[in-house]
Amino acid sequence: MEELIEILMDINPDVDYEKEQSLIDGKVLDSFSIITLIGEISDHFDIEIGPRYLVPENFNSVQAMWDMIGRIQGES
Amino acid sequence: MSITSVLFLAFLAVVIIVYWAIPYKKYQWCVLLAASCIFYLSTGSRNMIFVLTTSGTAYLAAGWMQRLTDAHNTYVKEHKAELSRDEKKRLKQRTALRRRWIMAVTMLLNFGILCYFKYLNFALEQIGTLVGFLSGRRPFWNSVDLLIPMGISFYTFQTMGYLADVYWEKVRPERNFGKMFLFVSFFPQMTQGPISNYGQLSGELFAEHGFSYKNYSYGCQRMIWGFFKKLVVADLLSPFVAEIFASYENYPGITVLAGAFLYSAQIYADFSGYMDIMCGFTETLGIRLAENFERPYFSKSIAEYWRRWHITLGAWFKTYIYYPIAVAKWNRNLAKRMQKKFGTAAGKSMPASVALVAVWLVTGLWHGASWGYIAWGGVNGLFIIFSLWMEPVYEKGKQKLGIREGQFWWKAFQTVRTFILVTFIKVLPEVGTLGDGIGFWKRIFENHEIPSSFTGLIPGYKGVSDLLTMAVILFGIALMLSVSLLQTKYKVRDWLQSRTRCARWGAYLLLVLLILVFGTGSSKGSFMYAQF
Repeated sequence: MEELIEILMDINPDVDYEKEQSLIDGKVLDSFSIITLIGEISDHFDIEIGPRYLVPENFNSVQAMWDMIGRIQGES
Repeated sequence: MSITSVLFLAFLAVVIIVYWAIPYKKYQWCVLLAASCIFYLSTGSRNMIFVLTTSGTAYLAAGWMQRLTDAHNTYVKEHKAELSRDEKKRLKQRTALRRRWIMAVTMLLNFGILCYFKYLNFALEQIGTLVGFLSGRRPFWNSVDLLIPMGISFYTFQTMGYLADVYWEKVRPERNFGKMFLFVSFFPQMTQGPISNYGQLSGELFAEHGFSYKNYSYGCQRMIWGFFKKLVVADLLSPFVAEIFASYENYPGITVLAGAFLYSAQIYADFSGYMDIMCGFTETLGIRLAENFERPYFSKSIAEYWRRWHITLGAWFKTYIYYPIAVAKWNRNLAKRMQKKFGTAAGKSMPASVALVAVWLVTGLWHGASWGYIAWGGVNGLFIIFSLWMEPVYEKGKQKLGIREGQFWWKAFQTVRTFILVTFIKVLPEVGTLGDGIGFWKRIFENHEIPSSFTGLIPGYKGVSDLLTMAVILFGIALMLSVSLLQTKYKVRDWLQSRTRCARWGAYLLLVLLILVFGTGSSKGSFMYAQF
């Protein structure tokens, strides 16, 4: 999970990612940051994050993102 | 049945009574279905055919896609031990391909119907111009007389969004066709939205609601406020704005500029007034519709404005066009190539920029089939993309000048700047042709006459009564602005509820009185966004 936090820190270093639970609902990450984040995650973990995964629940916290990555890796 | 007519008000009253009177709450949604059918049939049975086509095809396609998925999952589960990894992958791909075909054909049919009605004449006109230019002869075809089915842009987008959600397995398909039809045709959002997503709206429509006096009174309050905005502000402004738009060459630049700002007030009062009427009505039934406005003229950038104006349309574009394009593999590969050639910043902004171009082209076309709307979409998109690219430069500039994000004067500057920009962009497709829109802009900057009489200052000025009308309009705009300012700090409706009964009813009566005195004679019976 640390590598995921590193990616997030590159995008916006001013957030406490270990505590934050509403990155999307709380508008901490805007749509441009989300696009950058998806690109970085896709490249780093070698996965395809399709539109079906683009729901706030999958991006609201680091844990939710980590779980989503695990699900995508399990499906492929 | 005009939405501002007494007949429509009586219709709403009957729906409210029947909705709360039926003994079995689980059938409340049937009341809404019946009301939606009556409302739609009252506009002509022809309209009904198109809504039935859209809901029927989406219902069948969604069910079919789900059956394919279920059959695939069952087969894989039953033959888990016998299937190799490659076979499982092949089966999955085959099911995915079939599902994609079903979705694509259904979308093609429904968007095809929408395009036929909205864009056929525009396309014929453009091809005719091109043929005429190349051959020097007039084309042999004429424009086709087409009557656009009511609300087609809104319900087609909402239903195709549902289909995409089923395809992406975000929601399970609706099994009851009656419920599906209600989701597509729910009459309060039929003509101007909001464009709801199935997950949110189905929960509201099909749940059993208990009567709440608070919901009822808040709903009625909101309806009165909506009628005030529509009938007193928007409809009274309408003739003045129409006169400036039609004859802007005859007015001083300052009057034309005032016309642009008055148009901003008119379209906001008209569209948000409709939303207040409909959201207020559904609130009396305990149903919350998605909000379409969040004080958009207080936005600090054009991108923010579009997150606060017609929110559900923006959300639709974001979900179904922006994100799928922005995260697509081909787009990310393009970004990597850009990054190598032009640096990290260019590469990073590329996926979003490509997606934004697509979104704004479609947004322009969604609003209307004309070069004016395409240019309007293009200008909006250009501002947003340019801001995205220039963000590092802005940040450096702000640091040098010592500007902090939260400073009051900086926020005020950003808000006023955005409002002026939005107003100028808004008028571009509304004056007439694209040439007229540009002419309107030029008039503002090139003509410096000072109006010497009311005739030059107030468009179409006929007498003292116009001065009174203008005073009422300005009062209405000031009231809307005050309410919006209060909303930034308080929950205005809760605040109003906490006032004495005398103060509360005084406010309601004043609004009703203004509607009765100034609003009833002016109503055109139509809403500006219904044309889209």
